[in-house]
Amino acid sequence: MPGPLPRAKSNVWWNRGWPYRVFLLRELSAVAVAVYIVLLLVLVSQVREGRGAFNDHLDLLESPLFWIIHAVILGFAQLHTSTWFRAVPKSMRVKLGGRVVPPEAMIFGMYALWVGASLVVLAAFLVEW
Amino acid sequence: MTTETMTDQRTVTLEVFRYHPDTDSEPSFQSYEVPYREEWVVLDALNWLKDEVDGTLSYRWSCRMGVCGSCGTMVNGYPRLTCNAFLREFLPGPIRVEPLRGFPVERDMVTVLDDFMEKLTDVKPYIIREEEQSLDEGEYRQSPSQLADYKQFSMCINCTLCYAACPVYEHEDDFLGPAVLALAQRYNLDSRDQGNEQRQQLIWADEGIWDCTFVGECSEVCPKDVDPAAAIQQAKVDATNNFFISFLPFTPPGMGR
Repeated sequence: MPGPLPRAKSNVWWNRGWPYRVFLLRELSAVAVAVYIVLLLVLVSQVREGRGAFNDHLDLLESPLFWIIHAVILGFAQLHTSTWFRAVPKSMRVKLGGRVVPPEAMIFGMYALWVGASLVVLAAFLVEW
Repeated sequence: MTTETMTDQRTVTLEVFRYHPDTDSEPSFQSYEVPYREEWVVLDALNWLKDEVDGTLSYRWSCRMGVCGSCGTMVNGYPRLTCNAFLREFLPGPIRVEPLRGFPVERDMVTVLDDFMEKLTDVKPYIIREEEQSLDEGEYRQSPSQLADYKQFSMCINCTLCYAACPVYEHEDDFLGPAVLALAQRYNLDSRDQGNEQRQQLIWADEGIWDCTFVGECSEVCPKDVDPAAAIQQAKVDATNNFFISFLPFTPPGMGR
């Protein structure tokens, strides 16, 4: 007599719909961010090697392959940021003056900070040049 | 009922998961044509099938109004209560009806819920008092703000749809799962409760909150708008705070209970 059917486990659970695929991409986006940090560290290390090595490295970064790599990383960084902004109100229940801050307000605040920080970086970049 | 629906001769195909533990070595799907009614939910169609076509069909149901949590089923691959899944949502069909994912199957759509029930009992989902207040002292009073801290988690009806949506529960046998953790958090957040420490060992363990990878679909499928994903993430923040606070020689005001 076979008895109850054991619980089924699927290795393709991530393909059950977009929410699961987005979850997987969200987790994968951390890898893209880590790769970018490595690229940045390599860039910094080239400074120590002298002007010639640094300029050679800059030439390498301007190759089509690295443009594509950076574009992919930028896309993942956007996904990483927006998905985690959306997740923050679930992790934190913030009370101000006895009232719970609505999730939308928290998300808006984080986007405002992001835009503000980006503008500061952009301004620093423009002033430098 | 309008004249139009009474005379409606349309049908819709139901593909029903069938498994009989005494005779079947593996499950199969059986297709049935059921009458289409504008106001029918999938549960009505299953009841019609059982009454009119095949009395051996097995599935759970009770209240028929989204309160008892008995009729959780996969409808076209999505965890739903069959009592609030209208046939009209799935036109033109077919509508595939399967037992909730992640659980062993007893027969047809009836799942084995022992694992869930044991885990639910383990987290002590009830108010624990170190010392009971005497009746003379009256009821345990609570402000609206204190009630709001846990109220939405208390709406859980144990329908286990969140378990069917959770890939972690599907793969990790020991994981307590969304509803159990949400209910544990519901009591931990209740100002009348003093059972935090008794629940901590279980819910702060790997198979408790830390197995959760925050897919978040548990909250999306909940028919009562409970947010188990939020309960688990908030418990993770509590556990992390507690870990760091434990290194301090004092407890900062407002931290810990």
